[in-house]
Amino acid sequence: MKQNEQVINKVKDALVQAGSSFREDKKEAYCNAIINETLPRAKWALETILENANVAERNHSPLCDDTGIPHLFLEVGPDRNITGEFLEAIKTGVARGLRELPGRPMAIKGDDNQRLDQSGGLDEDPGALLPAPIIAKPVAEDVIRLHVLMLGGGPAIRGKTYRVFHKHNVSVVTDEIISWARESVALLGCSPCTLAVGIGRSQFEASSMMIEAMVYGNYNVQSDLEKLITEKVNESNVGPIGLNGKTSVLATFLKVGPQRASGVRIVSLRPCCCFEPRITSVLL
Amino acid sequence: MKNIVTPITDEVINEINVGDMIYISGYIYTGRDAVLPKIVKLIESNTLGQAGIDLKGSVIFHTAVSPAGVGPTSSNKLEIEGNIPALSKAGVKLHLGKGELSRKTVEELDKYNSVYAVIPPVTALLGSKILEQKPVAFLEEGMEALHLLKVDGFPAIIAAAHGKTIY
Repeated sequence: MKQNEQVINKVKDALVQAGSSFREDKKEAYCNAIINETLPRAKWALETILENANVAERNHSPLCDDTGIPHLFLEVGPDRNITGEFLEAIKTGVARGLRELPGRPMAIKGDDNQRLDQSGGLDEDPGALLPAPIIAKPVAEDVIRLHVLMLGGGPAIRGKTYRVFHKHNVSVVTDEIISWARESVALLGCSPCTLAVGIGRSQFEASSMMIEAMVYGNYNVQSDLEKLITEKVNESNVGPIGLNGKTSVLATFLKVGPQRASGVRIVSLRPCCCFEPRITSVLL
Repeated sequence: MKNIVTPITDEVINEINVGDMIYISGYIYTGRDAVLPKIVKLIESNTLGQAGIDLKGSVIFHTAVSPAGVGPTSSNKLEIEGNIPALSKAGVKLHLGKGELSRKTVEELDKYNSVYAVIPPVTALLGSKILEQKPVAFLEEGMEALHLLKVDGFPAIIAAAHGKTIY
């Protein structure tokens, strides 16, 4: 069956853009952080990260050598159809994008045991890196829009998905998020972070909400809860790349999903590194 | 910004202080979790020279070298930080990576007049400052093999020197 070349090329270009550029609202957030920092080494670190983004965008080259695992979020309008062939075309576009960026060859070969202990070796083809399972969401707009996110390993190591007993008090939940974030941002080394937080009824739903938070988050539009979390974590003074300073966190992207009638909330936190969310959106 | 050119002498290290912002130029090695323990075994068996490795006055950048470029990994990983003392004793003058090192490692660095610098994870920018690159040893490790880079002005900040640390 012939795949849709137009779809493949759009996905390929989106992946390259996600891995090599900052969105405009993120550039603005960095410019504001540079103005606000008073510690010279913190200011220098922020300026260097922004300069890196400009070079990467100009050269269409990776922002970071950990180019990340592709995660895909698909918006589907009411009169649109998604076929297996269409999903295969997206997958092919991802592989081509990884080869063009180029992505770091990170696909582990072998059976279950070999993939776990890495004894099967690495596939030299950057395009062999499979994307994570696609998340699909129905939307009112009559479009098919794909969001391509590239998720690096450092934030995955420091991220956390766990239950919080809320005691019928929002502050109990936010205090826990702030506590987790302070610890993880300090360990990450690649701050300033953007905190992606999802809250749901199960580990799967909370993680999905965390991805959705990255998709719809905006540095210029912050809710009171998001502002509170950012401010409290910034009091830790970790600063850019751990060199101290005011900017440990640029912003918080929080998505609260449906909740269970119970005393527990499942929270998923990803301390996105200084380049994340690496994301681009494209209409297919 | 201070300019540091490899090979680095003890006199240059003596003039470096915590918090100094530097540019590194010249030939530098790269190595991380997979290869640094192997380098230390060569040191212990006195076979570094046979492998074509000269650590006197050298820099080791904690990174892989892949088609995507270079960028620091966390230097406080067990197999990286744990080998910093032996590498310093063998002549490495500057360890380049990211993240906080333990008090014990900071003291070991001081003992051998070696320093630790943090480099921002700025792959695109660093790529524009790499003039040459080649694998040197343990090629079977692929992107984690010991590589030699010729660089022009890698930006970094001294995070540990003379028993003091920025953290």
